[in-house]
Amino acid sequence: MLFWQILIDGFAISSLYALGATGFALIFGVSGVLNLSHGALMVAAVVAAWAAGAHLHAGPYAGAALGVAIGFSTSLLTYFVIVRPLQHSRKIREEEKEIFILTATLLWGIMIQELIAYLYTNNAKTVAPIVEGVVWIVGVRTPSNEIFTAVVCWLVIGLLWLLVNRTRAGKAVLAASMNPRGVTLLGIELSQVYIAVWAIYGVLVGIAGVLLGMFLGVSSYSVGPLTASAFAIVVLGGLGSVSGALIAAYVVGYLETMTAYLISPAYRTIPALLLVVAVMYVRPRGLLGRR
Amino acid sequence: MSMAAGAHLEVKGLTKRFGGLVAVKEMALSVRAGEILGLIGPNGSGKSTVMKLIMGIERPDAGSVRINGVEVAGWPSHKIARMGAGIVFQHSRPLHRQTVFENIKLALLPDKLTRLFADPEIDERVRAIAARVGLSAVLDRRPATLPFADLRKIEIAKAIARDPQVLLIDEPFAGLTSKDTAAFSELICELRDDGRAVLLVDHNVKSVARLVDRVLAMYVGECIAEGTADEVMRNETVRRVYLGGSIETAARPESSFRDSIAPFLAVENVSVHYGKAQALENVSIHVHAGEFVSVVGLNGAGKTTLFNTVSGFLPYSGDIRREGASLRGLTAATIARNGIVQCPEGRELFTDMTVRENLDLGGHHLSPAECANQIGWLFDLFPILHDRQKQAAGTLSGGEQQMLTIARALMMKPKLLILDEPTLGLAPVILEQLSKALERLRQTSAISVLLGEQNVTFALPHADRVYVLEHARIVWEGEPARFAAEAGTGYL
Amino acid sequence: MRSFSTARVLLFALGVIVLASFLPLGVSGYILGLLTIAYYFGVFAMSWDLLFGFAGEVNFGPTFLIGTGAYAAGILDNLYQLPIWICLVAGALAAVIGGVVLALPALKVRGPYFGLTTLVAVLMLQNFIVVAAGLTGGEIGLVVPDVISVSDTTNYEIALWFMAISGAILFSLSRSPVGLILQASGQDAVQAGALGFNVTKHKLAAFIISAFFSGLAGALMVFYLGTASVGTLVDITVGVQIIIAAVLGGRRTILGAVLGAIFLIAMSEALRPLGDLSNFVVFAIALIVVLLFPNGLLGLLTGTKENI
Repeated sequence: MLFWQILIDGFAISSLYALGATGFALIFGVSGVLNLSHGALMVAAVVAAWAAGAHLHAGPYAGAALGVAIGFSTSLLTYFVIVRPLQHSRKIREEEKEIFILTATLLWGIMIQELIAYLYTNNAKTVAPIVEGVVWIVGVRTPSNEIFTAVVCWLVIGLLWLLVNRTRAGKAVLAASMNPRGVTLLGIELSQVYIAVWAIYGVLVGIAGVLLGMFLGVSSYSVGPLTASAFAIVVLGGLGSVSGALIAAYVVGYLETMTAYLISPAYRTIPALLLVVAVMYVRPRGLLGRR
Repeated sequence: MSMAAGAHLEVKGLTKRFGGLVAVKEMALSVRAGEILGLIGPNGSGKSTVMKLIMGIERPDAGSVRINGVEVAGWPSHKIARMGAGIVFQHSRPLHRQTVFENIKLALLPDKLTRLFADPEIDERVRAIAARVGLSAVLDRRPATLPFADLRKIEIAKAIARDPQVLLIDEPFAGLTSKDTAAFSELICELRDDGRAVLLVDHNVKSVARLVDRVLAMYVGECIAEGTADEVMRNETVRRVYLGGSIETAARPESSFRDSIAPFLAVENVSVHYGKAQALENVSIHVHAGEFVSVVGLNGAGKTTLFNTVSGFLPYSGDIRREGASLRGLTAATIARNGIVQCPEGRELFTDMTVRENLDLGGHHLSPAECANQIGWLFDLFPILHDRQKQAAGTLSGGEQQMLTIARALMMKPKLLILDEPTLGLAPVILEQLSKALERLRQTSAISVLLGEQNVTFALPHADRVYVLEHARIVWEGEPARFAAEAGTGYL
Repeated sequence: MRSFSTARVLLFALGVIVLASFLPLGVSGYILGLLTIAYYFGVFAMSWDLLFGFAGEVNFGPTFLIGTGAYAAGILDNLYQLPIWICLVAGALAAVIGGVVLALPALKVRGPYFGLTTLVAVLMLQNFIVVAAGLTGGEIGLVVPDVISVSDTTNYEIALWFMAISGAILFSLSRSPVGLILQASGQDAVQAGALGFNVTKHKLAAFIISAFFSGLAGALMVFYLGTASVGTLVDITVGVQIIIAAVLGGRRTILGAVLGAIFLIAMSEALRPLGDLSNFVVFAIALIVVLLFPNGLLGLLTGTKENI
């Protein structure tokens, strides 16, 4: 019984993680940036969806749409205001740019977190789910919302895969992650590729955030742990490998779920963290890492 | 500071692989005290890797490196340095936040954690060394404010300060004026006369011939000749591999090319700087519509810089015009889209994608029908690509990758195709195939080609006109037939 | 600042410190308390600058070292009521051991991995503190029975002179031959190796020194505040504030870090009327400085325009 519960809950959580981590890995693979404001962008999307419901009395669909829109716009804002100026800055040495971008995105994430806490307090918020009701699977009482979450996540991941592997624009993005110079030589403007990637990332983060809000709820305190689990997953899977991130998302998701059910919810993040530490000692490249 | 009579470097069976590529294969050499050995070879021959292996910056996969009789292969670089080896890198790497004084002082410090105060005599020695190389006037300045030659002097000063018994010098004269080159040569001779064993790496025998006692020539990771400078320059294998065999030409006269308004490509008085070094100095070339132009020059002459400047990757002074219209201010991608497409030296293929996907990306801006058409034409031009179309580009052989690079560029339907050293590291059999493909292009299409090569035998049969680029300047221009007579002999 | 000799800078700084030590004569206890915290913060920031500015390693979790030192000292006091100075020594030692444990895997990896390793360390420490609540007081925090003193002035002077001595040692180190080797190791490890320096050994030493001062300062803070908690000493936001202080003040100057710390605390205080928004504004200002003035305050003051 417990086994099935863990299996089902774990699957839903892992799917959510997979969606978020895919976005995180995409940004790193193409733009070369480890976006430490990832969690903040997700929470911003959720809070927008919640605010739409609480203040504007919008329905769940409208709220979700607003959430995704906010995810999209804050992602582009992050690129144009923080990441791009630093990448093009003449005042910073090339070798130091990575560090500055890491620090700036971290700062930006904390800023968003503080703003959310100020405007809406740090109480947990949930978003009205699009799908309500309960189903029974193998004798386990499961909210339909959970199934909905897993389905949507995989739908989006599938769409993304189609986009990247089957469309011209997508292939250009994939090529840019392998060899930016090669892409320029073929007459494709890298600057447009980057904008496209951050836009896609924004949508991914918006959807993941809204789904999380419907499933478990978030608060401004979730910002840190969300970013932490995204980069733990991406490090585990191997920086630069999206398929690695997908697998790692399930490893981490199930580890967390099992810990929460079998030991205690308070300790849920620990085994995953220990695993990341072990991987960094033993195989810093991660499971399928390229870089 | 006296030299032990036995200062000695001995290398046997040195091998290094990077993935599937064998960079260095069973290298053996030996340098005695008071001797300068020149290690020469073109780009990609492995000579810089040999230096890094000796110095411990890379770990060898096999082989032995003995310094003064002690086996050091596989040791970390700091231990090898303390054993008495020193290296002068090809590119100056001073500490930018420190003054010249501090940069030299660093080389004199012992590897101890507990030194909170330096020996006062160290400061004295810094000044003495600075005086010896000619840096006394700039001791308190930071490297960013100094000219190129001074930065090289800092590198030599560091080497002198380390007082190594075995000294490795990588391309010492690159970017220097003849006056500075003479001064450096003298310094290196003094170091040799102190009793050190000196290993000098360069790509050009001519520039080091007067300096070295013996020469060892490398090609694709292996030693192909050894002896005095004269002997090596006259060696058959060396001449064939570096220069190619006999030269045939088939040039079309310049007057036969019709441009619409102005030459298709006009590069006028272009100068480019890499930091302090002058990579191009007042270079002017032009290419007519439909013409095949060869730019011939050795490594470091400036070919790649010239091509990257035309393609829009580098800032420059001067003018670059395409059919009369200036290219200044256009992004590199725009220049490529408008018909000037480059096949760079590094190929820049999408290694994890298939051959077909690489080609499709080249046809990014074409309609699917046009794209399929182009691919069909290219498979005809390069049949091997058709056979390998589902293979990942990274698994192709060197020659096949080069063909794919050219094919991918041709997918863009360029008006001007720039080829940067397409024959680098390729076996002669592949060169045949490439040559045939270029010939077909020349005969069946109206494309213009700008070909940069150090392999003169490959380049000349495909050229209507030739430029020679040497040390950032164009030193000769004319028809290929005259090249062999006038410029070719002095070439190696 | 480069052009002034170490001795002259130290002398000038000593003058400023002596002046500062007279502040209790005319300044309220509240402000003295703020400055006390600022001075300890200054030591956190200086230690961070040694590691980043010199060894070239970005530590995203300086609070791992601080927290280890602070909690070790506090827990010992709680459990065994040992004299304060023993707890302080033990705290510093614990931080050093923590630093070595962190350094060994961290130094094996390059670039972003190093920063991530340090972040993970902080998260682990945070989780451990929460899980072992019986020992550490968990999320509520640890209360220690002893404090160094109840007098504002005494606490202020201790913090001031501790910062002065730490600063003198760290600054002299940065200007010494060892500092030069560290700078080389950070800027160009390949060159440093080719010049005969064991880069790993030197970076490890930098780690240990940074850990020692961070841990000791953390322990002193515990015995000043009388409490230790995740929110004040371990949280990532605290770590970020330390980094901001060092970057604001000017990377690679050591002394600039103190300026940055004082500036940050003063700014937080000045923005207090904004209530909960003050944090947001502080971080926003910090972000603007990072984006527009990467060379920090000291860079602005000394007119440094070049890439440092």
